[in-house]
Amino acid sequence: MKLSPENPLSAEPEIETAHVEEFVEQLRCVTDTLPSRINIDAHSVEQGLAKLVLTLIEFIRRLLEKQAVRRMEGGELSPEQIEELGLALMRLEAKLQELKTQFGLADEDLNLDLGPVGRLI
Amino acid sequence: MKLYLYCLLEGIAQLDQLPQGISNAPVRLLPIDDLAVLVSDVDKDAVAVTRETALAHAAVVRSVLDRTTPLPFRFGTLVSEEQLRSYLSTRKPALENNLRLVRGCVEMGVKIIWSISNNDPHEQQLSDEKQGAGARFLEEKRREILGDERRSAQATEISGWLHESIGELIRDEHVAVRPSEKLVLTAAHLVERNKIRQYREKIAEARASRPDLHFLMSGPWPPYTFANIELEFKTRFGVS
Repeated sequence: MKLSPENPLSAEPEIETAHVEEFVEQLRCVTDTLPSRINIDAHSVEQGLAKLVLTLIEFIRRLLEKQAVRRMEGGELSPEQIEELGLALMRLEAKLQELKTQFGLADEDLNLDLGPVGRLI
Repeated sequence: MKLYLYCLLEGIAQLDQLPQGISNAPVRLLPIDDLAVLVSDVDKDAVAVTRETALAHAAVVRSVLDRTTPLPFRFGTLVSEEQLRSYLSTRKPALENNLRLVRGCVEMGVKIIWSISNNDPHEQQLSDEKQGAGARFLEEKRREILGDERRSAQATEISGWLHESIGELIRDEHVAVRPSEKLVLTAAHLVERNKIRQYREKIAEARASRPDLHFLMSGPWPPYTFANIELEFKTRFGVS
């Protein structure tokens, strides 16, 4: 395609929004999750490993919750079994929360960017 | 000495004015067969990711956008000239296909924010006080999961609606939909240069018809999202 002198590309790129602050906040969240350089020191390696392991545990925990809810809705479980399963999952959630606090991780830290596929959680 | 790569070009034999590159390094055009690459000679093994280096990379890629549509390399790509020549000669058909795809186009971006809510008035139920803590926990999880599914369906609907609104004006698109996040949709559209005005008008119409969604439109940009050459390069040479 031939480019003409009136081509709109002679202008700088434009950014149009009526909600600048909202988008800046969201984009800041995205850039905060981008890795800059990997620091190979003992503390960051430990925290990085904890983040990875806890992300996978969180992923499995959510799968277990969905499976439990599906079985509850399917009428497969007695009230006693629902109570028991609910308590077990509740304790698992509390334990994971405790581990997150211990390693200084927030809820939004437990995720993996899988590129074109999206995020794990 | 290594080459820092900015972008791959076709149909350009000479460029008179080029901005300074990363770390103020001069930028030159390196012709290879019928293609050309904008490069800087650098004496480093890695380029630091800073605001200045990122903006310098973007400025060099953008400097040729009014003459041609470049295929940008991933920020920080450093290789020897032999590696570059070998890569271009072995991957030439794929790169030419890529250049054909983006030829005459630019990238436009749309981001959409929505107000996510976990609550559906139809789903709200009072907790049964007779239930134990475990059963109440599972009931709460059931409501959360239903909310997630509802948001996922709504997000898919937004993505389909946006495509319907501008589909005829775009050559290609990359769309990421994230129902659990406030920034629910991020789209990159490959738009022919002579359709940019129509594209902007269509987005403005779409925005006016959905006051419940907050839009950000940006561009024109070089087709970073559609270049797709950095992964091949990394795979082939282990460049990081």
